[in-house]
Amino acid sequence: MYGNTFVTEEEAKRMNATVEDPQKLAEFEDRITSGEKIEPGDWMPQEYRKQLIRMIEQHAHSEIVGALPEGTWITRAPNFRRKLALIAKVQDEVGHGQLLYSAAETLGKTREQMLDDLLNGKSKYSNIFNYPAKTWADIAVIGFLVDGAAIVNQVINSKGSYGPYCRALERICYEESFHLKQGHDNVVYLATGTDKQRAILQDAINRWYRPLLHFFGPPDKASQHSEKLMKWKVKLASNDDMRNQFLDQYVPKILELGLTFPDPNLRKNADGIWEFSDPDWEEFKRVINGDGPCNKERLAVRRYAEEAGRWVRQALMNPTEKYQVPLA
Amino acid sequence: MNINATKDLLFKMADDALIIGHRNSEWTGIGPMLEEDLAFSSMAQDKIGHALALYKILNEVLGEADPDKLGFMREEKDMKCCHFVEYPIGEYDFSIIRQFLFDHAELIRYEMLAESGFQPLAQLAKKVKGEIKYHVMHADTFVKQLAAGSEEAHARLQNALNNCWHLALGIFEKSELESDLIKDGTFAGEEELQARWLAKVTPLLEAANLKIPATNNDKIALGGRRGYHSEYLKPLLDEMCEVVRTDPAAEW
Amino acid sequence: MSSLDPRVNRLDLKRVLEGEVQTNSHLVTYEVFHQDKRGKQAIHVGIVHAPSPELALVFAKEQYSRRGKTANLWVVKTSDVYTFSPADDDMFETTPEKVFRDPAAYKVRDRIEAYQLKNKATN
Repeated sequence: MYGNTFVTEEEAKRMNATVEDPQKLAEFEDRITSGEKIEPGDWMPQEYRKQLIRMIEQHAHSEIVGALPEGTWITRAPNFRRKLALIAKVQDEVGHGQLLYSAAETLGKTREQMLDDLLNGKSKYSNIFNYPAKTWADIAVIGFLVDGAAIVNQVINSKGSYGPYCRALERICYEESFHLKQGHDNVVYLATGTDKQRAILQDAINRWYRPLLHFFGPPDKASQHSEKLMKWKVKLASNDDMRNQFLDQYVPKILELGLTFPDPNLRKNADGIWEFSDPDWEEFKRVINGDGPCNKERLAVRRYAEEAGRWVRQALMNPTEKYQVPLA
Repeated sequence: MNINATKDLLFKMADDALIIGHRNSEWTGIGPMLEEDLAFSSMAQDKIGHALALYKILNEVLGEADPDKLGFMREEKDMKCCHFVEYPIGEYDFSIIRQFLFDHAELIRYEMLAESGFQPLAQLAKKVKGEIKYHVMHADTFVKQLAAGSEEAHARLQNALNNCWHLALGIFEKSELESDLIKDGTFAGEEELQARWLAKVTPLLEAANLKIPATNNDKIALGGRRGYHSEYLKPLLDEMCEVVRTDPAAEW
Repeated sequence: MSSLDPRVNRLDLKRVLEGEVQTNSHLVTYEVFHQDKRGKQAIHVGIVHAPSPELALVFAKEQYSRRGKTANLWVVKTSDVYTFSPADDDMFETTPEKVFRDPAAYKVRDRIEAYQLKNKATN
């Protein structure tokens, strides 16, 4: 699960300043324009490589950190069906992390370097996972709406230009459709259940509404555009477009259950565009910079996993074998 | 066929599978490396699936309550799992040695049950044998490679084996109705299972240069099969049933 | 730190909270090939990090065949795979033009029909 990549002003400037071999660049861009994919080992502009690594790596981190809020309820799922589904679902997130780290590795950054950057706070992950899963209903809302939002983003990105990332995303999207189904199933059971079940579900929707609007990143007017990233098919849709697509698909599915969103201004206007109250972008910035309800815990748990597993990985290592960048 | 003896066998197998699956699912998301996280998680799901299949036989063939009630609504004293599966996951050394010792017993138990005169169990045994074979392959490969991998890893595995041994022997605690199971041809019994298990794990542990601790009969963790459990089961059940017990009548 | 996750409360997090993390271990990678049915090709599906072919198979099974049908999996150490350099793809460029290797390049029906027409006319 992942939100969206965005570029800081400084990065946008630098990107436009980098000089590349004009002939190679032209060939590279022709390839992308004609709909061909870029594969590992191809010549590519430095900025392309860099931005892709950054994006895929953040996506991978989001998967393995995203496993934690949902993991909160793994030992408490209320029956066999939910218990099996939740373990399988969280397992998939870890599997997606594995696939994405593998895709990023083909660009020349090792999994270990990426994990170190995550654990040392040098690399980000999706903001939404810094919020807590307070009740069982949060699992339903995460499974349905957070995964729903992630699918919007991932389906779009799977049409990008980098072969290994597209392949990973295709597999991921296929598995995410299970997440969405089981999340919807969970939401519907709670919504059509007892008053208490409906109440915890409504409470969870109320709490996840803003983080869901934040999920796709700041509004287009406030974020830096990179023509290059669009042209190179690294970024394929704007934050606002994706957010709108998400609202269009999922708001009706919550409303049809007689549930509400905590925003009197949420409505679709005459142009088919969803309008909503300002979701407090200052909070978004605060959380992304480390001051969210769960940032500390998420990193502490990942650090624990890294540290507690170290002896296992070290014992498995064969010092005579040399790591080589994977093929695809 | 002594129905109560058969029920007792199914309950202890199902409870073992549910509790160890539950425990091992705690590794999901925090495993020692991503690939192993996935593998361990799948095996936890398999175990919970085995528990479900066994409770289904109890429900559909032997008239007990539905599987969700059997798995999530029984009291501690009614549970028949062994102490070994109840222990917290600890560090990875404990979890992998537990898997090794427990799954070798499971594999042999299901092999024996493939010959059971109680058809539903014989059919289930044939169905799940491939899954458990993989669990054993996983455990064997890890134990072998870790034990030879570093001094620290070897010492950790040895320590875990020392801690696990008498717990593992508790798997084979006989039930009161054991002789009926053997007589009826439902199951050839814990004694035979234990002998076959010992013959299987001993050379594997020796090959990994791990020393089996001397067995002290007084230290074997008994009682689970009669409803007397370790200090860890009650909190586990409270946690596992926290959501469903907020409203057991609701559909979840 | 008290967590909402009872699993997390059982971990000894204090042990690892401080300091810079440095991971120096790089396991090698294995390329994974998946055959869904007997009689079908094994197809490349991705990689696993693993210290040995045995563990690579153990890992590949749950990463690449935990859904749907599988007949077999192959793993090959990445460094044992030889490939062309992507820059050498021009060696393949003219191959599609070698139509004399294609069945579609051999169409004689028109000729037969013309011959038959001509024969009919002369008879």
